Amino acid sequence: MDRTRVNIAVGIFVILGVVALGYLSVQLGQVSFLGSRGYAVTVDFPSVGGLKAGSAVEIAGVEIGRVESIGLADYQARVTLRVRSGIKLQEDAIASIKTKGLIGEKYIRISPGGSDKIIQPNGRIREVEAPVDFEELLSKYIFGKV
Amino acid sequence: MFAHALALVTALLLVGHGPDRAWAGAPTDQLKAQIDRTVKILEDPELKKPGRQRDRRTAVRQVANEIFDFSETAKRSLARHWAARSQAEREEFVQLFGDLLERSYISKIELYGGEKIKFVGETTEPDGAIVRTRLVTRQDTEIPIDYRMHARGDKWLVYDVLIEGVSLISNYRTQFNKIITTSSYQELVKKMKSKQEEFIQEEKRTSQR
Repeated sequence: MDRTRVNIAVGIFVILGVVALGYLSVQLGQVSFLGSRGYAVTVDFPSVGGLKAGSAVEIAGVEIGRVESIGLADYQARVTLRVRSGIKLQEDAIASIKTKGLIGEKYIRISPGGSDKIIQPNGRIREVEAPVDFEELLSKYIFGKV
Repeated sequence: MFAHALALVTALLLVGHGPDRAWAGAPTDQLKAQIDRTVKILEDPELKKPGRQRDRRTAVRQVANEIFDFSETAKRSLARHWAARSQAEREEFVQLFGDLLERSYISKIELYGGEKIKFVGETTEPDGAIVRTRLVTRQDTEIPIDYRMHARGDKWLVYDVLIEGVSLISNYRTQFNKIITTSSYQELVKKMKSKQEEFIQEEKRTSQR
């Protein structure tokens, strides 16, 4: 009788442990398995230089979405963003790839525009700024002078 | 007979829809023509003479007015603060913004000394185009400069310039937004006006010398 109780308690603990582990991996891995909420917007960059799926999309430093996927289209990087529903992006909004701090991770910063036209779900942000390649810039202005 | 009708319909469609892929190359051609004009003005020995700096600058500004859509650039730079402005305020702002660009860029352009401009490509979309160029300096360094253009009637006008991938509009949008949100729009206009007056005074002093 006593033995069964101990067994049940251990069983509950094991199950709780497994659930906690699952929760942890979902949180850390940033997996959204309840289907993706928000709407998709694509952006074409000449280069994404270090941006990854899962990177943050921010307006004024506030996260408004994440990078869903990055693919290649016509030798340009096509980035699909998942933007929280309720956030409206104007047609002349500019998407730039920025770095957190000097050597931090890459994220997409959107500077909102002033147009009356709003980008529809599955639409595209036309105005982009590619990340500045510091190494290239440095070599250009240091070694460029012959 | 059928073929004729079809050709006519296609032609009408093209006219009705304005510039599109069928006319690819038009943005580059128009931009190139204006850049060539600017280079000609800058290399004109008559205008290089001392005391004619003002004439030279006016000539460059005239060309710039023809190829740039300053009001669009101003509107996009002001972004969401544009909607709150009255018609008169908008006109005033476009004027001030034009002066600001003249101060910061047209005065720099006078340092021009034989740099070459290469046209490397063009991307046309239904509602805009990007013309990619490279400025080749005398040290043979290539600086990528992209022009974002849109069609107004049969003319293509530049509304944004990206140097090394950094957008002009984005730069001013951040600055204007910061000034407007921390103080006010009136403060921004005051700042721009006083800068312009300083510049005019400075110019007078140098021309008197």
